[in-house]
Amino acid sequence: MKMGELVRIVEEDDVAYNNPIVLEGLPDVGLVGTIAASYAVDKMGYKEIGHIESDLFPPVMVIHKGKLKSPFRIYGDESVVVVLSEVAIPPNAIYPLTEALADWFKGINAKLVISITGLPAKDRMDIEKPEVFAVGNNEDAMKRLADKHVGLLEEGFIAGTYAIMQRECSKKDLSAISLLAQCYPVYPDPGAAASAIESLEEFLELGIDVAELNERAEEIKLKARDLMRQTALSAPEMQKEVEQDMPIMYQ
Amino acid sequence: MLYGRWEKDTEMGIESGIRKAMWGCDGNLEPLYDVEDKGAEILVTFDLPRVKKEDVEISTSEDTVEVTAKMSNAVCWERWGGIQKRITFQAFKKQIRFPVQIDPEKATASFKNGILRINLPKLRREVSIDID
Repeated sequence: MKMGELVRIVEEDDVAYNNPIVLEGLPDVGLVGTIAASYAVDKMGYKEIGHIESDLFPPVMVIHKGKLKSPFRIYGDESVVVVLSEVAIPPNAIYPLTEALADWFKGINAKLVISITGLPAKDRMDIEKPEVFAVGNNEDAMKRLADKHVGLLEEGFIAGTYAIMQRECSKKDLSAISLLAQCYPVYPDPGAAASAIESLEEFLELGIDVAELNERAEEIKLKARDLMRQTALSAPEMQKEVEQDMPIMYQ
Repeated sequence: MLYGRWEKDTEMGIESGIRKAMWGCDGNLEPLYDVEDKGAEILVTFDLPRVKKEDVEISTSEDTVEVTAKMSNAVCWERWGGIQKRITFQAFKKQIRFPVQIDPEKATASFKNGILRINLPKLRREVSIDID
């Protein structure tokens, strides 16, 4: 950890990383990434291996089973690393956070960074099985997506943590993809998270069954209400609305 | 439009929206909701997990809508916080006040996959204007 940096990645455990795949599930529309990443951590039994500190983060800590923890935590093992947060990311922290994370991913020789997030769907209420679309940041990432037959977002704006994560990974010559599941914009969406995990399985092959996620959907929605509200309140500053706009250079 | 910004435009003010907890000691949870101004009508949706259609009550006036929705299983949270330690919630309850008048007689609602959708037509007095 280098002191004085805006964002510091604090490793709590010595892990012998073996070209891990990184999952980023920070709060965004529908909390798709947060729900999916938390579920993966739970099902795979990943241990906590670090946390993220920053003066740009709100002065909040969380208590679980009587133990004090950072709400911005990193879980995983030698081959998979999961980044998640229990509080909304302040918009002014996005750039230094993604830069620091991409630096750290490079340092642990990550072979692929996967951001899991949502794609707001106005008619989500009528969609039984949300579709997943993807964005890749380089030729390697695009080839991986083509190999797995994941539908691509071909035109449009992307905004938020995952958008800048793609850029920062490009700057560090890291392959990154974003998986976006159709979701409710301002309601926690475990159904979209289940679709995202099924798509993620194409890359990770961890054997994560989403049946329990679907069964516990209502309980998850109840627990996720406060984080959803925090995240929705910061959405305008994140320029999330631009994702509905048509780019002038649309082809 | 997100619910937070709607509150900003109303007499409630966004500050109260941020500070207020989404639960009360009266056994009610505040649901997540979204308000969208569609021009001729206001569209309000509520996220109501653990609720069946027959347990939803909606009442409207010229400038408010109130939803009370009983959950099929009460929510009980234990070992959480200081004062609440063990707290149970049986229903969602929320009143939203609009900055424009609506026509409560013409309001319609539907409920699907835990999402309540209420269409509230605005009260309009149409006057045609002649061009000089």
